[in-house]
Amino acid sequence: MNKGRPNHSGVLFVIMSILLLIIILFSISWGQISVPWCDVVSIIGYNLHIPGYEELNLSPEQQAVIWHIRLPRVLVGVLVGAALGVSGAVLQGIFGNSLADPGIIGVSSGATLGAVICIALGLSTTSLFIMPIFALVGSLVAVLLTAFLSMDKGKISVMVLLLSGVAVSMLMGALTSGILTMMNENRLREFLFWMVGGLDYRRWEHVYLAVGPILIGIILLCLLARHLNVLVLGDQEAKSVGASVATLRLLLLLITTITTATAVCVSGTIGFVGLIVPHIMRLMVGPDHRLLLPASALAGGLFLVTCDTLGRMMMPPMEIRVGIMTALVGAPYFLYLLHKVQKAGGRV
Amino acid sequence: MMPSVLSVHDMSITIGSKEILHDINFSVGPGEFVGIIGSNGVGKSSLLRCLRGFLSPTGGHVEIFGERIATMKDKTLACKVAYMQQEVNVTFGFTGLEVVLAGRYPYLKWWQNERQEDQKIARHYMQFTGVEHLAHTPVNCMSGGERQRVLLAKVLAQETPLIFLDEPTASLDLVYQEEIFRYCQLMCQQGKTVLIVAHDLKLAAKFCSRLILLADEGVIADGPPENVITEENLQAAYGLHAAVFMNMVTGNLDIHTYAGATQSSEQQKGTVHIIGGGGAGGSIMRLLYENGYRLTIGVLQPSDTDAHIAEAFGISCILSQPFCGMDASAVQENRTQVIKADWVVLANLCYGKQNIDNLQVAFEAKRLIVIEETTIEERDYSGGQATELYKELCTRSNVEVMTYAQFVQRIEKSCCCI
Repeated sequence: MNKGRPNHSGVLFVIMSILLLIIILFSISWGQISVPWCDVVSIIGYNLHIPGYEELNLSPEQQAVIWHIRLPRVLVGVLVGAALGVSGAVLQGIFGNSLADPGIIGVSSGATLGAVICIALGLSTTSLFIMPIFALVGSLVAVLLTAFLSMDKGKISVMVLLLSGVAVSMLMGALTSGILTMMNENRLREFLFWMVGGLDYRRWEHVYLAVGPILIGIILLCLLARHLNVLVLGDQEAKSVGASVATLRLLLLLITTITTATAVCVSGTIGFVGLIVPHIMRLMVGPDHRLLLPASALAGGLFLVTCDTLGRMMMPPMEIRVGIMTALVGAPYFLYLLHKVQKAGGRV
Repeated sequence: MMPSVLSVHDMSITIGSKEILHDINFSVGPGEFVGIIGSNGVGKSSLLRCLRGFLSPTGGHVEIFGERIATMKDKTLACKVAYMQQEVNVTFGFTGLEVVLAGRYPYLKWWQNERQEDQKIARHYMQFTGVEHLAHTPVNCMSGGERQRVLLAKVLAQETPLIFLDEPTASLDLVYQEEIFRYCQLMCQQGKTVLIVAHDLKLAAKFCSRLILLADEGVIADGPPENVITEENLQAAYGLHAAVFMNMVTGNLDIHTYAGATQSSEQQKGTVHIIGGGGAGGSIMRLLYENGYRLTIGVLQPSDTDAHIAEAFGISCILSQPFCGMDASAVQENRTQVIKADWVVLANLCYGKQNIDNLQVAFEAKRLIVIEETTIEERDYSGGQATELYKELCTRSNVEVMTYAQFVQRIEKSCCCI
């Protein structure tokens, strides 16, 4: 009966950090132009002006590939994965349902609509920062609409929320398609690229853009983790211990939306990370969000970079985009989860 | 007058377009254990939710320690009142201790984690409700009783002077139901004030120091259990035919309910006198009472179970002195009742020297039904005298002999006259 929680979360964090480091180094060193691990470290050291790495005996080509192509790509991958992992965990907590994920409440479709509007208006090329802002606004609008539709006297029922999320996503999708039909070939291609989430051609600008909102978002969410714990017990329980349920919920939704939207706007829509990562982490560290959120951040980064690396390795020189990879891994797991629920005859 | 912990002023509650409670007024002092009772849908839970501020009243207001709850901050209020709802669905396998620690929420600043002290408090109350060993068990793996006790520990860990419980025993086994009530009683003795919405009247009457009975949009009775649980009040609140009596075994108020005969048929039914004693008349009394007959019974000894049952149903009962032969006045009164009654039932009595008069008086009946479960010889301790009388009685034309089962059939089939 007493299934005491595995009391090794510390070890888990260390293992995941080491794995993340290894996969980052591996991902950077592997590719068409292969660079040994130790050289990867020296290139990074050289560019960061760390003493001891003043000299480099690598070709400028190798240097450029590592520093300007692979490193930003991996960093964006880690940030996006972490953002999606944490957001998924928070959303699952808010809705008390482990099948919730950022896509379900309309964040992704909203961001997509924002992006497509930006592309259609031809603003995407003027500045790297314009499109993310559009995506952000789009996802905020979508989430607020979803929340508003499912709010009944300050309460949100999970079922209604999921259905409103579906409805809003469809509405956003319809608008997106509508705009797409009126766009020219070039812009259509640009959109398609954005649509299938990917990490290729990510530059340092993307890292700079994403690092602020995502890190701040993750830190804020981790700070609010104890409040989320109380919120998970249900509206009435949370209220009876004096939590300002409505405020907290909206605050969490807002931070989650901004974090996810930032991730979506630097990488396009990447599914399943926010669904699977928190779920697995919950099995490993338990439901306490003070552990779950950091663990999901770490594991999200790890998962996304791994998927991206696998996508690059499967059939070179072609690349399978990371959004496709996560879905390939995620969809079967999702189905397995559903199957388990059916068999248990209840909730996950 | 005691200072009031909680006071309700002219409060009205409307749900949807229906006003379910109108102009409620009451106040509760420290240490009281108040049970809120009433039929389903009368607004018990809504009242409690309103008192906690989850629901805003459409009229009037609620004060806790003299302060209006509408103006209090969430956390301040949570330090004064703890609230336990009927069913909590704890998802994601949070453990017992984690749930109990949630009770410490109002005492922590938003950036703080639970301190050592909070852990100690949580453990202390888990020990109090006997769930210390479940500290690391996921709540969704617990039985209903364990879960409710964990949630009770959580409510206690909130360390509030006032505790509201909304049917905490709804899905529990009898043992756990009592346990929860007992914990509450203990807490009240320690100076806390508890308001509980209860659906089990017997438990509420046994443990609560005060009951508030809701019906018809208001409070129809308020006071100590014995003043609230009365036949008239239960009839008014639940539309229930009930007999309220002191259970001799438990020493508590007990309630016997039955599907009552309608008023009109009751009037048509006649008066029946039962000659009983030694427990033989109990089931006959209950059967006839529930079917709406007017009853009398005699002659009984005061300590007889038949006498207790008669008292519980409020049936007029002819008593004689214990441990001696029947006194003449009792016998006389018995005879009067037998003659007055439309018909008489002679229960499956044992006869001795003391109660032979009970058999003799049966000869006076207009119509007599003799219940015979065992032969008269087995029941005769009077040395043959009773057997003789009994046999003579049974030969008369206005006498029918039948078993109790036949009698039940007869009564249930032919509602009125036999």
